[in-house]
Amino acid sequence: MGTIDRRDFLKLVGAGGVGAAAGFVLAEAIKHPVEHLIPYPVPPEEFSPGVAAWYNTVCSMCPAGCGISVRTLEGRAKKIEGNPSHPVNQGRLCALGQAGLQVLYNPDRLTGPLMRTGARGAGPFVQTTWDDGIAELAGRLNELRADGRSDRVSFLTAGVRGHLAALLELLMAELPGARLLQYDFDHPHTLLAANERFFGAGSLPYYDLENARYVLSFGADYLGGWLSPVHHALGFGRSRQGRSGARGRFVQVEPRMSLSGAAADEWIPARPGTEGFLALGIARQLVAEGGYEGADRDAWAAALDGHTADAVAAQTGVPAATIRRLAGDFAGTRPSLALGGGATGGHTNGVDALVAVNALNYLAGNVGRPGGVLFNPPPAFGPRARAAHASYRDMLALAEDARRGRIEILVVSDTNPVFTLPAAAGFAEALAAIPYIVSLSSFMDETTGLADRVLPSHTYLESWGDDSPEPGVGFTVGAIAQPVVAPLYDTRSKGDILLGIARALGAGEDFPWANMEDYLKAGWREVYGRAPIPAEAGGFEAFWISVLRAGVWGENGRRESGSPAVEARVIDAVGVAPPEFAGSSDEFPFVLHPYLSHALRDGRGANLPWMQELPDPMTSVWYGSWVELNPATAERLGLREGDVVDVESAHGKIGVPVYVFPAIMPDVVAMPIGQGHAGYGRYASRRGANPIQLLAPLTEPVTGGLASSATRVRLVPTGRRVSLVKQGGESRQLGRGIVRTTGAAAVTGPGARLASIPIKVEST
Amino acid sequence: MSFLDDFRARWRAYRHPGHYERFDYAWTMTIDLDRCTGCEACVTACQAENNIPIVGEEALAKGREMQWIRIERYWEGEYPDVKLRFIPMLCQHCDAAPCETVCPVTATYHNQDGLNAQIYNRCIGTRSCSVYCPYEVRYFNYNVHHWDKPLDEQLNPDVTVREKGVMEKCTFCIQRIRQAKDHAKDDGRRRVRDGEMQPACVQSCPAEALVFGDRQDPQSRVAKMMADPRAYRVLEELNTSPSVVYLKKVGADAG
Amino acid sequence: MPDSHDEIRYADVNDDVIRSLVETGPKYYITLAVAVGVTLLCYAFPWFYQLYYGIGAAGMNHPAVWGTYLANFIFWIGLSHSGTLLSCVLHLTNSAWRKAMYRSAEAMTLFSLMVAGSMVAVHLGRPWFAHWVFPYPNQAGLWPNFRSPLLFDVMAVTTYLTGSSIFIYMGSIPDFAAARDRTTGWRHYMYRLFSLGWRGTDTEWHRLGRAYTFLAVLIIPLAVSVHSIVSWDFALSIVPAMHLTIFAPYFVVGAIYSGTAGIVTVMFLLRKYMRFEKYITKLHFDNLGKLLLVLSLLWTYINVLELFTGWYGGESTELEALKYKLFGYYAPLYWEMILFCAVAPLLCISRRFRTSFVPMLFLSIAINIGMYTERFLIIATSLSRKYLPDAWNLYVPSLVELSILVGTVGLFCTLFLIFVKIFPSVSIYEVKETLPAPEEGSTQWQSTR
Repeated sequence: MGTIDRRDFLKLVGAGGVGAAAGFVLAEAIKHPVEHLIPYPVPPEEFSPGVAAWYNTVCSMCPAGCGISVRTLEGRAKKIEGNPSHPVNQGRLCALGQAGLQVLYNPDRLTGPLMRTGARGAGPFVQTTWDDGIAELAGRLNELRADGRSDRVSFLTAGVRGHLAALLELLMAELPGARLLQYDFDHPHTLLAANERFFGAGSLPYYDLENARYVLSFGADYLGGWLSPVHHALGFGRSRQGRSGARGRFVQVEPRMSLSGAAADEWIPARPGTEGFLALGIARQLVAEGGYEGADRDAWAAALDGHTADAVAAQTGVPAATIRRLAGDFAGTRPSLALGGGATGGHTNGVDALVAVNALNYLAGNVGRPGGVLFNPPPAFGPRARAAHASYRDMLALAEDARRGRIEILVVSDTNPVFTLPAAAGFAEALAAIPYIVSLSSFMDETTGLADRVLPSHTYLESWGDDSPEPGVGFTVGAIAQPVVAPLYDTRSKGDILLGIARALGAGEDFPWANMEDYLKAGWREVYGRAPIPAEAGGFEAFWISVLRAGVWGENGRRESGSPAVEARVIDAVGVAPPEFAGSSDEFPFVLHPYLSHALRDGRGANLPWMQELPDPMTSVWYGSWVELNPATAERLGLREGDVVDVESAHGKIGVPVYVFPAIMPDVVAMPIGQGHAGYGRYASRRGANPIQLLAPLTEPVTGGLASSATRVRLVPTGRRVSLVKQGGESRQLGRGIVRTTGAAAVTGPGARLASIPIKVEST
Repeated sequence: MSFLDDFRARWRAYRHPGHYERFDYAWTMTIDLDRCTGCEACVTACQAENNIPIVGEEALAKGREMQWIRIERYWEGEYPDVKLRFIPMLCQHCDAAPCETVCPVTATYHNQDGLNAQIYNRCIGTRSCSVYCPYEVRYFNYNVHHWDKPLDEQLNPDVTVREKGVMEKCTFCIQRIRQAKDHAKDDGRRRVRDGEMQPACVQSCPAEALVFGDRQDPQSRVAKMMADPRAYRVLEELNTSPSVVYLKKVGADAG
Repeated sequence: MPDSHDEIRYADVNDDVIRSLVETGPKYYITLAVAVGVTLLCYAFPWFYQLYYGIGAAGMNHPAVWGTYLANFIFWIGLSHSGTLLSCVLHLTNSAWRKAMYRSAEAMTLFSLMVAGSMVAVHLGRPWFAHWVFPYPNQAGLWPNFRSPLLFDVMAVTTYLTGSSIFIYMGSIPDFAAARDRTTGWRHYMYRLFSLGWRGTDTEWHRLGRAYTFLAVLIIPLAVSVHSIVSWDFALSIVPAMHLTIFAPYFVVGAIYSGTAGIVTVMFLLRKYMRFEKYITKLHFDNLGKLLLVLSLLWTYINVLELFTGWYGGESTELEALKYKLFGYYAPLYWEMILFCAVAPLLCISRRFRTSFVPMLFLSIAINIGMYTERFLIIATSLSRKYLPDAWNLYVPSLVELSILVGTVGLFCTLFLIFVKIFPSVSIYEVKETLPAPEEGSTQWQSTR
């Protein structure tokens, strides 16, 4: 280039410098794209930044229907608390209810309508639009309806109450012959049937634990998840220490100690399926010793004859002295209350056993009285006909119809039968025979994974709805569920979806509501009109606002309903057949006792990280599945904690680690339900095992409900060993007096002395 | 005050920095073990309120849990006379806390409400407070925690999200205490009323086993619960003076 | 070169020691490269990984929140007591046999303290704020918590570090001067700077002697207090099996014990690789062996005391701690510690054993392994099982921790290797004190080279 003079040099440097500077600025700009922090000079009307807004709604994490208040800040839900005004939970809330926030903000939520491409269950889902989805579904429904073949339509939902159930009913009316099945794994079919037979009312009564002084529970884990756990816990707490001078005594009869069994003063292990005999034995003693003074006493004595303490001891394995003592306590401490459900109802003799429990209540004279069994008034709103909850038999029938090509459209909402039905039902295979499946779920669970179209609904925190809780509180209660945040994604509330389908079916005149909120208000206008509410200034609108503000509406006191008379033929028929089990005891020496896991219930909580990280209350295990073994059994089989065994029934096999559980009968093994998902998001997938798969298709003959506690299994060691991830360390107190107990037993028991006195330390 | 009294007061304040003659509020919690069912609603409520991280299975397998209130379980007896006892264990806010003396940077101290307060941005992570705590209620952030979006939308803006290397523990929901005191001050400069403010765990407990309040107020529920003959403190013999009082479970034979 | 100690002349001492400074063979560079490599690979990189990832990279959990990092800290502070013992205590007792070794022992002290200090940074959850433990005026008006045993630690170790640095430097001034007079080039300038104009006059020697003795008397209680204070990190807790009054003497005895064993190791290596065979002889190993025996018996006694008091008190927690230490998960480590620290040193009863170099090397390494195990066990067994049994958990060190442990040895060796090339590692003037003085007019003053 030759020499460069000074000017040229400076020019080059200048140009180079500018170029470099420009390049630098550009690079920096790409590294840190401009971000805007937009303050609120004119904040939106819905919220004041930094000030919380509370919205009352209804929890939907379990069927109890507790009222909740959700704290929102800047349009985001931050914390769920119990609604203090709601009589079911009175401001309290269980762990699963708290985790509702993680349903709303779950990273695996479906964000918009999807359509399957490729093979069912394998092909990827692609985004589509609501119009497409609704139009296609309605089109197919219309086709079938026009042909008079709308009996080939089936709607499969979880249990629904309130106005949404009424809306479903209306929609079903547009499709003559279509069936609506409500399926929940833990629906208390046998309890309802027992109440129908005994009291003539097939509904869930109200159990007044709060005022009872002696509660005898046959298999009902009332604190753990049975019916209405928060209300039961309130009642339990108050019965224990809420009144001066009278501490409630709780006794639990079950083959494996549940949470209620741990809280109880006594846990009585009885052979699986024989709890009904125990109830009859106690009833017989009560009548024989003059504890019952009703007019039909003789009929009862005759019906209960033969169930002596010794006979019952032989059947149940409970010592005769214990039976006599229980009977004496039950009769002598009034008001006494008997509860039955859970595993007790999950046998082939379930209905008969629960009838026996009802009999106990009747004979104790607590029906319709405080501290006893009370009947709820009929709900103030909801579907006209009582919903038909699908039993296992009904689901088998559905599957059979599907296989025979008699189902052409299936709409699934909020229920996951591919997970919650045993493998023996063959439900997944049956689904393959249904040409068109639509799911309204918010998550890609196993059943939704087999759908053709997904029209995801809002989560309960984004939806309008209402609820009249069951089992209720013994008086009329209604609560309105309102959205607490704006919908996050392109989803719609179930009510809106149903209305959309109805309109697309051309039934617009029968469904004159713009959306679910409208429908709800119209429904509540009727409630307002019917009910004895004093007309106030502002009329319905003011009433509506005040109900939303309180979160709940209804009566505020319980009326004693008298005790209905029991028919003579019912009394004569009181009796329990021995339980049947699937599998011979030689091949399958253990009875499998599956129980709803505390945090995950029937599997619905498995996609919530808070629930996966909640240690199981009895075993403290996180994130996994296990099988519980009695310590003597474990020693006999040479198994230690963490040894992986195959739990095998005649219908399936799953591999899980062993947990040595001190409070389970020697020939019973227990497994929590909830893990073992094949889909349902990152927190749930491919973790643990699902014991429902192993269950035999044995049913209770009256209801057709699954006898889920009647499967026999065997344990086959695999030789593998894993380290169970659990919170607990050493599970004995070693005499350190950490949990202290009052009474004589506390001082003389082993290892109960104070830490500062020389003691002998036992090796445990 | 005379000159001598004034001088004595100043000397005492100089010699005992941070000492309070009287607490402003003496926050106390009573836990009735006869009502506690072990349902763990308190655990999840605390997790939601205080931005407690989701630790993940791998960290839990190594034993690095993060639960400011945990339920301890103790079995007693052998089958079939076997019992399972639950006891919620949380920071006892000891008046003679072993953890407060050992922190070299005073990241933990006793505040005027009788709370053992943890200052996250002062903590350098020596973890000696956790060693000195006999109740094992202090939890260390071993890793960076993250929330899969949009789970972080749920985070409570009133509570810090702690970074790795910092110790944390139950604060008796100090953010709620602060808000209640502010509200009471605005509302006619009054004191916080009994029951006006509850930590998340107390609010959620379905069996009403937890009661919270100011033990200096003789009319408060908590003061009455403390007077119960069943009242005791865990590890009393260590003289830590905890602010959490447990009520003994009633023995089964006592009817 | 003369073969035996008696034939050493004054000039030989200067020659040998300064030769060790100046002449460097390839073996040295290879060793230094390996030491630096180990430090980087096993210490620096894993530590940076931990800084990024969090303390979760180590094996600690809830409630075992302390682990090998603190065990390393205590171990290295323990090793630092070697210099104090040899330098100061034996100086006051006028022991002649210490004179060849004490400089290196003091260096060991200094570098052990530095390594221990670095372990604190590794141990902290947020080491970028470690400076908060120092009391400096700041805008927030925050001072550290002086009631905390950890802060006593900071004060004590800092004082000890400062004192030891001054001590070793001051004692080396005449040797720097000797080196200054015999070296050229950059070394000459360096030693001229270090020797602070030392001329070797009577006044200067007199003052040096007084100052040296003064510091020696000062550092002895400092050393005792430092390890007592370190032990109080544990003893002032309420943790069973840690909350014992015996801990202060236990740790001090253990420190001197492990320090002495460390000296044996270093002396063997120096003797072999720096060609100091004349200066470090069987006599030295003999005396060190006797010292090890006495300390071992003392250490055993204290351990028996600990077992006895734990058993005698009968408290559930203490008994459990005892049972766990002796028969629990870590029991193999406990018995290994007893074997190496209580049983093996009994070999030192035999004079033949004491004066054999290689067996003493192995014994000294075994003792230090056992002493490290002791520190580790104190932490691991007590924190795994405290008061509430449901919270018990096991602690297993992770790969990162084990690597850093190896790395600390690398760091120590690196520092020591640099030291031997800058400081005269055998004290020239003190060794000369053990030799007969040259007569007037002899050629002993002059170098033969």
